[in-house]
Amino acid sequence: MSANAISPAGPSMWQSLIRNEIAVAFAAVLGALIVGLLLIVMIGVPLSDAIGAFLDGAVGSGYAIAASINRAAVFAAVGLGFIFANQANLTNVGGEGQIAMGGIAAAAVALKTPVADLPVGLAFMVPMLAAVIAGAVWGGICGVLKVKVGTNEVISSLLLTFIGIWLLYWSVQSTDLLRQPMTNTATLPETLEIPDATKLPALLDVAGPLNIGLVFVVFLAVIIQLALHQGVLGLRLRAAGLNELASRRAGIPYDRYVVLAMAVAGGFGGFAGAIMLQGDQYVLKDGFTSGYGFDGLVVGLLARGSSIGVVLGALFFGFLRSGGINMEMTAQVPSAVVVIIQGLVIIAIAASGYWLSRNEGKR
Amino acid sequence: MTLEQFAVFVGSSLRLATPLLFGATGEIVSEKAGVLNMSVEGMMLTAAFGGAYGSLVSGSAAVGLVIGIVSVVPVALLQAFLSNTLRVNQIVSGIGINILALGATTLAYREIFGARSSQLVDGFSTWVPPLLGQIPVIGRPIFEQVWIFYLAVALFVLVALGLKYTALGLALRAVGVDPKAANHAGISVTLVRYGAVTFAGLCSALGGVFISLGNIHTFTEGMTSGAGYLAITAVIFGNWRVWRMVGACLLFGAATALQFQLSPLGIEVPTAFLIMLPYVLAFVAVTGLVGRQTPPAALTLPFHAGK
Amino acid sequence: MAVAEIAGPAPETESRHAPAGSMLVLECVAKRFGRVQALSDISLNIKSGAVHCLLGENGAGKSTLCNLVFGVHQPDAGTMLFDGKPHAPQGPADALRAGIAMVHQHFSLVPDMTVTENVLLGRTRGLLDRKAWAARIQTLSDEYGLAVDPSALVGDLSVGERQRIEIIKCMIENPRLIILDEPTAVLLPEEIAKLMSVCRSLAARGCAIVLVTHKLAEIKQVADTVTVLRQGRTVATSAEPAKDIQRLVSAMVQRDLASLDVALAGTLGVSEDAAEADDGIREPSLPRGQEAMQLDALTVRDASGVLRVDEVTLTVDRGEIVGVAGVEGNGQTEIGLVLAGLLKPTSGRVFVGGTEATSKSPREITAMGVGIVPEDRHALACISSMSLAENMCLNRLDSFCRFGLLLRGQMEREAAALMTQFDVRADGPRTPFSSLSGGNQQKAVLARELTTDRLLFLLAAQPTRGLDVGAVEAVYKSIGKTCEAGVGVLLISSELDELIAVAHRIVVLYRGRIIGERRALPKFRHDIGMLMAGQQP
Repeated sequence: MSANAISPAGPSMWQSLIRNEIAVAFAAVLGALIVGLLLIVMIGVPLSDAIGAFLDGAVGSGYAIAASINRAAVFAAVGLGFIFANQANLTNVGGEGQIAMGGIAAAAVALKTPVADLPVGLAFMVPMLAAVIAGAVWGGICGVLKVKVGTNEVISSLLLTFIGIWLLYWSVQSTDLLRQPMTNTATLPETLEIPDATKLPALLDVAGPLNIGLVFVVFLAVIIQLALHQGVLGLRLRAAGLNELASRRAGIPYDRYVVLAMAVAGGFGGFAGAIMLQGDQYVLKDGFTSGYGFDGLVVGLLARGSSIGVVLGALFFGFLRSGGINMEMTAQVPSAVVVIIQGLVIIAIAASGYWLSRNEGKR
Repeated sequence: MTLEQFAVFVGSSLRLATPLLFGATGEIVSEKAGVLNMSVEGMMLTAAFGGAYGSLVSGSAAVGLVIGIVSVVPVALLQAFLSNTLRVNQIVSGIGINILALGATTLAYREIFGARSSQLVDGFSTWVPPLLGQIPVIGRPIFEQVWIFYLAVALFVLVALGLKYTALGLALRAVGVDPKAANHAGISVTLVRYGAVTFAGLCSALGGVFISLGNIHTFTEGMTSGAGYLAITAVIFGNWRVWRMVGACLLFGAATALQFQLSPLGIEVPTAFLIMLPYVLAFVAVTGLVGRQTPPAALTLPFHAGK
Repeated sequence: MAVAEIAGPAPETESRHAPAGSMLVLECVAKRFGRVQALSDISLNIKSGAVHCLLGENGAGKSTLCNLVFGVHQPDAGTMLFDGKPHAPQGPADALRAGIAMVHQHFSLVPDMTVTENVLLGRTRGLLDRKAWAARIQTLSDEYGLAVDPSALVGDLSVGERQRIEIIKCMIENPRLIILDEPTAVLLPEEIAKLMSVCRSLAARGCAIVLVTHKLAEIKQVADTVTVLRQGRTVATSAEPAKDIQRLVSAMVQRDLASLDVALAGTLGVSEDAAEADDGIREPSLPRGQEAMQLDALTVRDASGVLRVDEVTLTVDRGEIVGVAGVEGNGQTEIGLVLAGLLKPTSGRVFVGGTEATSKSPREITAMGVGIVPEDRHALACISSMSLAENMCLNRLDSFCRFGLLLRGQMEREAAALMTQFDVRADGPRTPFSSLSGGNQQKAVLARELTTDRLLFLLAAQPTRGLDVGAVEAVYKSIGKTCEAGVGVLLISSELDELIAVAHRIVVLYRGRIIGERRALPKFRHDIGMLMAGQQP
């Protein structure tokens, strides 16, 4: 169809889009929060109590802030991995399972190998590396399947999540695996605490557990932003995700890129597991993953391809979680309210994509 | 293993497969129409709660069944709206709904059942079909099931026949393969897809109500524990053919039943492995080791009328 | 049923049996898509019992007009009357109910269903009665000489056979208006003649036929009246099209028939008039013997084991244009994919410039000097949602990056230079590729491929399909220049006239085999036509 009209030059398309995207994200989050507040009112808890407890848990003390940020670092790690794979149009929903595998690997290396005897830096980096590799393999499998067989990576990564979670459960059930020695029948199914040398060093001498996981995450966020938006890699990934044949024809090694994308996403998930184990929990047990993989997935979905979006979203959810936990403990507001808010945010932002693309067409 | 033990095993497999059969039957209709409905889990959970709640307040499982189904309708419509009208990424909308359903049912459960957690409610009664139930030794263990199980059987038979022999089935399949062609033939793609997703919702509702009222007769948080995802996997494992999907559901049910069957036999297998087994089987299926996968061509692709 | 005339004007004496009333009336109809005004101020009057042709080059708005009548889109302004009653279909279902049927350019058939099921789709309720409908299909098939097998799977059928199903689908409801959108683009010459006669017999029964085309030859054969569209407006009508060809051509492309060069005339289907005189033999620009590309017993089987390319041996010399004639589906796509490095042949070898290129990666093949303009650029050559600059530089990104970071400024400068050199019209190198017109997109693809380093061989598959005359001209010019510069060109096209005008010699591909070769001269048109149908002349 021959173009019969030329569009007038307006504000740069990119500027308007970004403004719109952020505004829309804000609106979605705000709307979900309002619904959350309404629910709290409905269940009869005084709003002031609830909000008070929430703020207390989120930012009420140095400890609270540090805990929130630690949590945010985990979410951000998973989210960064997600947007990397998403650049190639691949949706990694296996964060939870990749965290589990990362946790298993890090715990295994920390507990069962003499890594604690290594010089200071290496003692905690080696288990981390093991975790990254474990996660990368777990994610990479999905990439290989997609390329060789055409399996949808959502389905394969989702199934591997369940398998990973149950493998975690299995690994702490048996003393032959990772379980702590059973002194009596009441010994909990979990590992021993990891040696001090393998724990992540604290970042600041705050009365809190802020660990250097944060530093790693910030560093990685910068690298990812550069790679995806300014780098050749980002453009090639994007091409691969949009049109397999055309990108192959243009010389892009499609197969390798798909596996790479999923492996990197998985590696980030494994890394998240490492900082959870080595920076916070110190013990591997059933329920270790705590749903952080899905939270990270949500953060990744909302970020729409931007590292900054991941960081902001991760912080939001990090504080949200802390506040939610305290709300439940102190003000008797079930943490399910936070889950509802999360679900609403996802749906609202996904739905808003519709409005954005409509406006794009009209420009 | 004695014949009786085997019969009990088969009976358990059927029982455990029931929610999968419901979920998968609905999902296969949705996917054949081109909509990947990831929210089966959320729909089942909503219905499980709705059914338990209905039974709690009325004292009757039948009312629970109705409330359970009704509670899923808005969820199904939301999923249909997101996938077909707003054309949201179908995976994102499904997961979002699942998370929302988990939160909402947990909250509602705490508030309503709260202090009376694990309270039993009136559940479904069992039924034995006349001739089959009278087979000596194996009759009762295999065929005495909660009556809603036979509804599941009727349902997937109807769907299999409907897809092949009715105009609606033909239209549905066309919409999932080439929506443009279907549109040019005068079929309303939107209407068909809305209908398919709603049907999937109804089926998931039946599956969810079974989970709460079928055996356990109560509601617990997140009680579907992945059954919805397993149902989706069964559809894939069955290569989008109804009879193979039914086989997949039965297989997965059997894998879960093994958990309870092996220890009486004195075979020691770690519980974790048995719980994992259905997912492992499903995973093997999607690796294509059991044959090439041929999904409907337009699956997950939204349709824009007029190009 | 006698096979209809191959050439010669449609006799006006073929009278209508039904009263010639107005079947479809359009007044001041307009339609806009986003920023593009596709149609403005369209007024038409279509009578029953006649064949009315909508003539216009690609992009004139013909398909849009048909989609408005059929209800796929709704007009922004104007009114439509069908059989005297207001006609405003909200979807194809409304149009079908009113008695309008349409054969689309891109068929609306579901490949994994049978012929009967495809016909049943949307036309019945409740239980399917496959047997009864199969019988109805068979009756129609026999009556009109459109051979189809009701139980065959559509995916297994050839393009010509699929079109027959589309026509039967239309006729099975006894419509009063049938719209055919560019039906002959995919047909063999003899099938085209058959289609024309079917149109005439349908009209004779009182049906109104609207035939959309950009081929003047068809107008001469079958049209009772003609309306010419250009850039979304009606610019001319004629009630005696056979006598008005000159006027219609100039209305269509704003040029004199005589001034059109042979190649362009070919795409409009009037090369018989323009080129009859040209019997001159064209020679390749370089002496023989320097190979650009060679296929040696190339064989390709598809995933289900069906033979798609059967021992094809072919040499293209430098400076030579070799045309490959044949209707789509005879192996052209597979040959293209092999040459692009995207498909491994089952057996046989490929050579570029004398060096073996079989099973090499796309990157290596491009490095050997191969350029490809594929038949479906959106599938293979470009990524629509990326920018023009990104598309033009996608296959040589390494030269635009430092330390892994993209040098976007450089990319855009390069793209802008190519845009000027090849006259690609767009809002700038950053505009999304999808916002360019079809002609400019094709020019952009050509720009990229023709500036490949050390270009030795160019594959151009259906390069002018869907393009307006201006773009077609630009494509021919580019191909001609590159050929003179010593590049060997393989031109795959289902437009025989194009091949005769542009190529030096033509091979015919039928069912994956080369069954004949001729020099590209008008006097061999008949022979080549027969070869395309699988018959030895």
